[in-house]
Amino acid sequence: MKSLFNDFMDSRFKRLVAATILVLLSVILMSGIYQKWIPRKEKKLTIGVFAGSYWDIENGYYYRILDDAIKEFQKEYPEYEVTYTSGILKSDYSEWLAEKMLQGDVPDLFFVPGDDLLTFAGIGALRPLNNLISLDREFDPDVFYPSVYLSGQENGIQFALPYECAPNMMFVNKTILDREGIPLPDPDWTWEDFLEICGKVTHSTDGTGVINQYGVSGYSWVDAFSTNGVGLFDEEGRSCDFTTPQIGEAISFLERLQAGNSGYNVSGRDFSNGNVAFQPMMFSEYRAYKSRELSLKKYSGFEWECITMPAGPSGDNISRLDTLHVALSSRTSQEHAAWELMKLLTTDKKIQREIFDYSEGISPLKDITESEETADMILEGTGTAFNMDTLHRAMEKSVTAPRFPGYEEAREQVSIAVRSILDSNSNVQMEQIIWNRTINNYLKTRR
Amino acid sequence: MADKSLELYRDNNAEDSTSILQAPGLIFLEMKLLNLLILLFITIISVHALRGYSMDGSALNFLVGAGSVPFFSWKLPVCVAILSVCLLLLLSIPCNNHPELVGKIILEYGIALGICALTGFGYTGIVMLLLADTMRYRIDWKKRIIYVTAICIAFLAMSSNHMYNLLHVIPLSQMWAYYRQDVRSSLLSVLDMLSLLNTLVFILYMVVLTLSQTSEKERILRLNSQLQNANRKLEEYAQEQVRMTETRERNRLAREIHDTLGHSLTGIITGIEACIMLMDIAPEATKEQLRAIAKVARNGITDVRHSVNALRPDALETLDLEAAIRKLVEESESSTGVKIDLVFPEGLQDLDQDEEDVLYRIVQESITNAIRHGKATHIDVRMERVDNDLRIRIADNGKGCEDIQSGFGLHHMQERIDMLKGTLSYSGKDGFVIEAVVPIRVVSEEES
Repeated sequence: MKSLFNDFMDSRFKRLVAATILVLLSVILMSGIYQKWIPRKEKKLTIGVFAGSYWDIENGYYYRILDDAIKEFQKEYPEYEVTYTSGILKSDYSEWLAEKMLQGDVPDLFFVPGDDLLTFAGIGALRPLNNLISLDREFDPDVFYPSVYLSGQENGIQFALPYECAPNMMFVNKTILDREGIPLPDPDWTWEDFLEICGKVTHSTDGTGVINQYGVSGYSWVDAFSTNGVGLFDEEGRSCDFTTPQIGEAISFLERLQAGNSGYNVSGRDFSNGNVAFQPMMFSEYRAYKSRELSLKKYSGFEWECITMPAGPSGDNISRLDTLHVALSSRTSQEHAAWELMKLLTTDKKIQREIFDYSEGISPLKDITESEETADMILEGTGTAFNMDTLHRAMEKSVTAPRFPGYEEAREQVSIAVRSILDSNSNVQMEQIIWNRTINNYLKTRR
Repeated sequence: MADKSLELYRDNNAEDSTSILQAPGLIFLEMKLLNLLILLFITIISVHALRGYSMDGSALNFLVGAGSVPFFSWKLPVCVAILSVCLLLLLSIPCNNHPELVGKIILEYGIALGICALTGFGYTGIVMLLLADTMRYRIDWKKRIIYVTAICIAFLAMSSNHMYNLLHVIPLSQMWAYYRQDVRSSLLSVLDMLSLLNTLVFILYMVVLTLSQTSEKERILRLNSQLQNANRKLEEYAQEQVRMTETRERNRLAREIHDTLGHSLTGIITGIEACIMLMDIAPEATKEQLRAIAKVARNGITDVRHSVNALRPDALETLDLEAAIRKLVEESESSTGVKIDLVFPEGLQDLDQDEEDVLYRIVQESITNAIRHGKATHIDVRMERVDNDLRIRIADNGKGCEDIQSGFGLHHMQERIDMLKGTLSYSGKDGFVIEAVVPIRVVSEEES
């Protein structure tokens, strides 16, 4: 045996060939491409998905849309067995995905929460879709709302397709406005309108002189910044510009808004008790709590409606957008099938329409969201004549905040800064410069 | 050593297997095994750490910190093992020239890069393996320094930050950050120790290699001097042989002279002395006696001729001059493959023996010179008779000779021609040309 081995190893050429074969073997092993070559009767496709709604609203239809999509998919590709692990909580989902990645057992395609998209793209776990998109003639990115579609991009590379989304909107207590004789604001209303209404509604209603009706709750600097055209961080989160006049305007506006409450910290409970005129909320909540089917009616004591966010002097009536994406694993061996299933989930009209049936988000497909059918469905679901134009407007003007790794921590720094400026009485511009340095120092040391 | 070809310092051609010449090979093997061990150590710890992250529920944190997804579980050690075997295979391939060596080093570097990337650049001692492999070749120091510098630069570039980003490498420290501080530091110190050991083995290898190379040089020098010794002895022996032959020939000549000339001259002297005494008493008897002496003298001449005949060139002994020269030409052509053109004039049958001898010797010597010294492939031998002169011109197409040093051969030729009162000229500018003019004695008067 040994002499046989030696004979073989005698020739230089043979040794070179053996070395080449070994290198190829290890490359094949690493890339996982060999899985494609193993002939299987039934091909396997795995999906990563979490239990429950992305919008944190329990509705009992956890996997309904996905199951329908799989059924649809198997009609065309009966040789595929599509599986997913059920019962993973949304809070554990990203960690579960990361563990799967470490174990080399990533699902072929998986849902990616908007906050984690850039994290997973950054570690190379997501398959860039650009060439799949350019090769696929059936696929047309224009069917999506542009801002929703772009939220799956980083540096021009499309990493994911939007599955469902929701803009944040301003909820209005119509009962209060009617009582005060104030009409519902225009869709292109401004901060000044907003302040005026808040001023009008903030007073005591029971004659005790203690203020018990307020203008707004839960309106944060994030809302003010996004509606005043503030771009806070650069794309990679390496630097922050906190000194712009738009930020100054936003902070002054927040100061005025706070002053109207005369020191009382208005909470979400005040809104649900019917004592507050405005509160920004995700559109998904509107759909959830307006729904007649939902036994728990959270905001039941008053009439309410949702409208666009008020525009700042340098901005627009812009809504922030939260999107649930679907992405392909960069290590998938079933690229083609996974892409087809992904397309089915995100662009198939029948599947996307089910989002309005079984979820609280809205479809990123323009045609579906703006169709008569959807309007009817929302009308039927919420029981109120909802002005669909408001939604379309919000969607067209929506933005997705940059989501670099460590975004939450950086945002917390800005929160501290804004709170501190609001609490102090010194010059806003000076404070902006000081905090600008602090935040940038933080961003530098974080890297 | 030709520039283009390379040769390994053989490590197994020493007569005794315990020689130092085998030691570098053994140490190289040790180095390979040590590197395998280190890589195995790193990968096993890494795999354990990766599993740990999953079990601790800090996988996402790790991935965010690492910035890329590592190769997981069993694939990591398997791939490292396969690549290592592949590297060992490549290291065992001998190269014949510089392009092959450069190609081989590039391939080895590529694989080493792969291994280092998989092990998070935690260990770059593989560079020593490449260096050690390159050192095994006989390369002059200039080129060797270029090779070493290139390999070192390539490995320095490998551990640069840029390479980390390019290959999405997760640094080993990041991978091992799973462990508690004290555990991690002891693991890293084990790795440091192993890589220090590798460095030491490399130094040992270099020392032993240098020693073995010196000892091989010494061996070659020793063999060389032995060879020179043997050569000198052989030369001495050849000279002794020549001297012995000369002595033997001299003795033979002396005996011949003694036997023939001595004998006849003694008879003649005795006869003449008798004649002197008889001349006055008996003139008739003296005449008779003188006739007898003449006969003795004539017999003596015949004997001398026989003796001289015995000393003549072999071919001339049995053949006439033309036949002998043609035979010489044919034999030279057939034995050396040289093309020889011969022009031989009519009417050279009546030459004296000494003239034939000289002519034959000139032709023979010239052909020999043309072949031996001129490396000629074509020789032109032209003899013509002009009145009473015989002209011989021998020209070859060999390399000639700018600076002609009259050696033994030319010297002898000159001597022989001088004896016949002829002239000899030669030139080595374009091939080698010898021209000789020999006056011929027209009538032989001693025929009776």
